[in-house]
Amino acid sequence: MPTIEVQRQVLPILGSPNQGARFFNPELPSSEPFVPGHRTCAGCGPSIQYRMTTKAAGDNTILVGPTGCMYVANSSYLCTPYNVPWAHTQIGSAGSFTAGVAAAYEAMIRKGKWKGAFPNIICEAGDGSASDIGLASISGALYRNHDCLIICYDNEQYANTGIQASSRTPYGGMTTFSPPGPKVPEAKTLFPKDLARMMAAGHPHCYVATASVGYPIDLMNKVRKGLNHKGAAYLMIYTPCQKGFVYETPRSIDLGRLVVECGLYPIWEWNPEKRAYDYSFRPQNMRPVSEYLKLQGRFGHLHAEHIAKLQNFANEQWRMMGVELPEALIHAADAKNLVNMAAAVEAETVAQTL
Amino acid sequence: MSTKGTKIPERLKIPFAGITPAPTQEKGQDLFPTGNWRSIRPVYRDKLPPCNNACGTNEKIQGYLDLVKRGKYLDAYALIKEDMPFPSVTGRVCYHPCEQACNRGKYDEAISIRAVERFLGDLGQALARDVVKAGTPNGKKVAVVGSGPAGHSAAYQLARLGYKVTILEKSPKAGGLNRGGIPDWVLPQHVLDREIERLVEIGVTIKTNVEVGKDVTWDELKKNYDACVLAVGLTEPNSVRAEGENKDGVLYGLPFLRDIGMGTSKVKVGARVAVIGGGNTAIDCAREALRQGAVEVTMITVESNPQEMPAVPEDLHDMVEEGVELMHGRTVTAVLGNGRIEALQLHPARFSGAINASPITVDKEAKAERFAVDNVIIAVGQRASLGWLPDEFKTERGTIKIDRFGRLGDTNFFAAGDIVQLGSGQPLMVVNAVGDGKRVAFNLDKVLRGQALEPRTVPVDVLFDLNRMNMTYFPHFPRVQQTLLPAASRRKTQEEVIQAYSEEQAVEEASRCFSCGTCNACDNCYLVCPEPCIVRDVRSNGLYKILVDYCKGCRVCIEECPTGCLEGVPELDFDTGVVRMDTAFAVSPGLHGRQAEELKNLGDRAAKNI
Ligand SMILES: Cc1cc2nc3c(=O)[nH]c(=O)nc-3n(C[C@H](O)[C@H](O)[C@H](O)COP(=O)(O)OP(=O)(O)OC[C@H]3O[C@@H](n4cnc5c(N)ncnc54)[C@H](O)[C@@H]3O)c2cc1C
Ligand SMILES: Cc1ncc(C[n+]2csc(CCOP(=O)(O)OP(=O)(O)O)c2C)c(N)n1
Ligand code: SF4
Ligand code: SF4
Ligand code: SF4
Ligand code: SF4
Ligand SMILES: [Mg+2]
Repeated sequence: MPTIEVQRQVLPILGSPNQGARFFNPELPSSEPFVPGHRTCAGCGPSIQYRMTTKAAGDNTILVGPTGCMYVANSSYLCTPYNVPWAHTQIGSAGSFTAGVAAAYEAMIRKGKWKGAFPNIICEAGDGSASDIGLASISGALYRNHDCLIICYDNEQYANTGIQASSRTPYGGMTTFSPPGPKVPEAKTLFPKDLARMMAAGHPHCYVATASVGYPIDLMNKVRKGLNHKGAAYLMIYTPCQKGFVYETPRSIDLGRLVVECGLYPIWEWNPEKRAYDYSFRPQNMRPVSEYLKLQGRFGHLHAEHIAKLQNFANEQWRMMGVELPEALIHAADAKNLVNMAAAVEAETVAQTL
Repeated sequence: MSTKGTKIPERLKIPFAGITPAPTQEKGQDLFPTGNWRSIRPVYRDKLPPCNNACGTNEKIQGYLDLVKRGKYLDAYALIKEDMPFPSVTGRVCYHPCEQACNRGKYDEAISIRAVERFLGDLGQALARDVVKAGTPNGKKVAVVGSGPAGHSAAYQLARLGYKVTILEKSPKAGGLNRGGIPDWVLPQHVLDREIERLVEIGVTIKTNVEVGKDVTWDELKKNYDACVLAVGLTEPNSVRAEGENKDGVLYGLPFLRDIGMGTSKVKVGARVAVIGGGNTAIDCAREALRQGAVEVTMITVESNPQEMPAVPEDLHDMVEEGVELMHGRTVTAVLGNGRIEALQLHPARFSGAINASPITVDKEAKAERFAVDNVIIAVGQRASLGWLPDEFKTERGTIKIDRFGRLGDTNFFAAGDIVQLGSGQPLMVVNAVGDGKRVAFNLDKVLRGQALEPRTVPVDVLFDLNRMNMTYFPHFPRVQQTLLPAASRRKTQEEVIQAYSEEQAVEEASRCFSCGTCNACDNCYLVCPEPCIVRDVRSNGLYKILVDYCKGCRVCIEECPTGCLEGVPELDFDTGVVRMDTAFAVSPGLHGRQAEELKNLGDRAAKNI
């Protein structure tokens, strides 16, 4: 039997003036694969991410949704906000389910049972699924290099079950499983799992990148790069959760920018051809971590020493990115200089332009 | 919500008590009108950008900058032409109050609006056919007296409204001070000629060498035309009331420039020239004197320092760069010489601020200075020449008396430009004359149609406060500078001093615009809405819509709107009792509501249907 050539979609990369700024894009498709009426919280970061991802992917897309907010809050009465084929899968089987869909389409096309281009197969796993419960299955899908894009929408906790700590919850983050108290004043004592780098290091043949809702064009371009990449791709995307982070809803995008500007969420790409990291993404400003922390109730209990610890962590990330640290940020990493939150706020005046 | 692609079994499609059936694709959208979560509603409300507000003719500056940014130059040109008949002229000569008002000036450097305007004006000049068309003829005739900026603008707007317009101009060439005041190295004559051609192309008749009062009388104007616009400007130079002012070699700024502009000048200036006055005319005279061959030019002003001079700072700077000397705090009290000027007698002087008497106080006690010169050019303002106007329409200042609509009593005569603006506090400048001409044309049209004249009372919200925008979207970028001819070479030529923008420069500069308060279709709100309940059917300016049935009021769109166009309004206003919350009390009853209706009728249906 003659095999049929797999026809692939190639999505154009969007022009991106200044990464985040003024992103009028006449090239985006007009169709809406993600529609309103769902019951995520107002200002939900993962929803914003869904909107951007599906806008970038377009109509010929299949979505896989392991358990989490983006399944539970979204699908009821046989309705979902997804106007493209979507399937829920058990929280642990994100990777295996997605791999199955990809393998099935390849086989169907090969056998002539599916006409048309190979669909964009996207798995949208929460960090609980991607970083803990479904880690093994996702690693398997990446390892076997199925032609799919696996996204970890990272809201840094198990949100849907009422805010529990995940291995992506940051140091100092309060959740119902990591409450602050007299014994453990900083709430969560462990630093988050370096999930995306783990994926890049373990599966170097995959396209791996981090992104944030604060930089929509960059995010959409990475989705498109991941989909254009022949083989498996992996994205970890920062998506604030207003319920768990406890902030005012209008700040969702702002937090997405601040987390990058404060060095807590380095944005990079892993280039599978060169087998190298690309650290060229630079936010407009560099800021002390306190600017990010002070907007969120989940960090409200932190003491100066904890903030300094987080600043140290951020400084390490900057160094990893090859950025020279301004004096003010080195200064802010010493608890003596940040007697309390108020003093830490003073450091904001030294916001540094890159 | 959607059920697209979901196979719903037949039995689940039938409603029966207690069970909500699976909705169809289009009904799925109604299932959860999440809009009822909202307490604050986002609304698109465009504000006036300060530049548009400051422009004398309220050009839609933000609008055309936005179009230039997107490479739609012709649309941008058409937009500017709504308010400005000759962007090529104002793009060169305007004192740009818009740039002083520009919000970007508070952030880094103001947008170089005038340079972009000139780019568009030059583009328009190069077009084989202009985009502007005459209106459908309405059979009415209007005379416009004077072809300066005010007359040009009024004639242009009236022609667009369908009037048969005739311009009466006493000079041999049309253009008013654009030709006879503003020098060639600021505004080349061919640029102005082309704009006047454009005016003729839309059906305006221009009769030069026709002076109202001499060739045409007031009564003839009244008899031969349905209405008339007087835009006669200020044509007579003021004197300094110095002894011996009638000596040879004493020149007046306005005729000096006018004759050069009209090509009828017989003046040859000597090596040493003094210019009296500190305004824009004086600056033009000083710079023109250099170009006419003077070696040393000194400007003598009453003002005690350059900051006080009533001049456009850039022009002053360019003049000093060309080598003109400044002498402050003095005025000329006598012209010395035997029949021909040899020197000036100067006395210390200052402004007294008096309005009726001479506004200048001269210290006659102080020792007089002698200042040797070959020529003096007196440029201390202009006044009107209105011998032909009935006295009832004259003011004490010698200008035309109008009501706030620019109308002379209840006649069909209107007046615009310098002739009415002198003493109004409004700077006597081209763009203000153009705006005046435009407004008067619209008022005239209303009067002839028998419509009521109403002052503008709509409160406009001008966005001055940068805190109302999201500044994170605007990285700092320096202004794109226009190149200047080098000072040393330009002081001898009539070549344009300020050079035009290239296309790339115009686009780069237009891209710096914040679009203050006005949606420029940047797509931000559209992309960041988590629902997403912001839709855009046509991808062009302002065409977004918020589906209020679904908007949860998270205000992310408001926060992320760079321009400050989006605002939040409370759904329930307890102070005023306003309730906007239509979705909370369900405009669309939602699926459940519709089913309730169906359920009510259930008992009437035949059993097999259930
Ligand atoms: C030297 C100089 C330089 C200037 N430079 C600038 C500049 O760089 N930028 C700027 O914005 N502004 C400048 N101005 C100001 C600007 O030129 C005037 O504000 C503007 O031209 C006023 O326009 P207007 O139509 O009211 O009058 P005018 O331009 O004075 O036009 C009046 C016209 O009416 C005609 N007229 C008068 N009486 C009669 C009559 N009885 N019958 C028929 N026709 C008649 C006149 O011949 C003239 O053509 C300058 C002014 C001067 C004097
Ligand atoms: C195997 C298994 N364990 C636990 C759960 C309960 N559960 C449902 S949703 C959820 C949270 C998932 O968190 P995450 O993947 O981060 O998604 P989020 O809710 O944050 O969007 C959990 C723990 C489950 N459904 N299956
Ligand atoms: S809990 Fe967080 S992730 Fe879940 S719907 Fe609400 S905002 Fe979104
Ligand atoms: S930034 Fe643009 S819209 Fe705002 S005042 Fe300046 S020119 Fe006008
Ligand atoms: S972002 Fe969407 S849901 Fe939020 S306020 Fe704006 S329109 Fe409403
Ligand atoms: S965010 Fe952009 S598109 Fe939306 S209203 Fe503001 S300016 Fe217009
Ligand atoms: Mg999560």
